[in-house]
Amino acid sequence: MRERALRIVRTGIVLFLGLIFYVGCSSSTENKKEERKPAPKVHTVEIKQMKFVPAELHVNKGDTVLFINNDLVAHDVTEEPNGSWTSSALQASESWALQVTQSADYYCSLHIVMKGKIIVD
Amino acid sequence: MNAVKTLTKSGVMLVALLTMLLLPALAQENPKLSDPEVAHVAVVANQIDIGYAEIALKKSKNQDILKFAETMTNDHTAVIGQASDLAKKLGVTPMENAVSKQLLADAEKTKKELRSKSRKDFDKAYIDNEVAYHKAVIAAVKNLLIPETENAELKALLEKVLPALETHLEHAEMVQKKI
Ligand SMILES: [Cu+2]
Repeated sequence: MRERALRIVRTGIVLFLGLIFYVGCSSSTENKKEERKPAPKVHTVEIKQMKFVPAELHVNKGDTVLFINNDLVAHDVTEEPNGSWTSSALQASESWALQVTQSADYYCSLHIVMKGKIIVD
Repeated sequence: MNAVKTLTKSGVMLVALLTMLLLPALAQENPKLSDPEVAHVAVVANQIDIGYAEIALKKSKNQDILKFAETMTNDHTAVIGQASDLAKKLGVTPMENAVSKQLLADAEKTKKELRSKSRKDFDKAYIDNEVAYHKAVIAAVKNLLIPETENAELKALLEKVLPALETHLEHAEMVQKKI
């Protein structure tokens, strides 16, 4: 009777230690993963002289792209080809932030020859 | 056939306009236009395109034409705003002159032609004229206005306007292909 109780306690301790070990391990791998994933960054795309500069931008998922209109005239930033997101018209010196979830082509719907690209690495 | 005739006509008019604009300037060594005169030509050239756009916004039903005309109105208004601000800052009063008068007289004729077009022919006539007009204005800014401008800030503004005019031309040519 007593031996059985002892065995249960022992098994309990082993399980408990095992659990601690497991949790410790898994949380430490999680930490490592977080260390490898860089913190979200803010990138800038300047709109000037009727161009998106840079026209091609590499980012990580979750990064933010800030579009700043430093031109004489109004522009917008619109997803191509579906128009699934748009900044609407940005007047001179206005800006707009986009949180990137996936790669996208975009253009200015006011000047359809102006084009740019965001590439998620 | 009609289209060919219109195109040839606008081509001839373009060459005539350029010759008129450039010959007096090339014939003289001293600048033909003072800065107040350059400023006036710049403002008038922008106003003229706003005038064409106004007609298009009334007459056209084509989305590409309407969007283009809206962009022309907004962009050329913005450029006039910049030019007026700069003129004020420099204490320059834009001054009427032979070139700006000629531009206005030609524009009146073109506007009359555009207004007389049937709805069916209007879109093509409008966009053909936009292509020809932007080509002529780009040439005039590059070869006449910039070289004749004394003031560095006015010259810089004209240089800054060039990419917008070139983008308008490309945009107009894209629409022209679809019409
Ligand atoms: Cu634009």
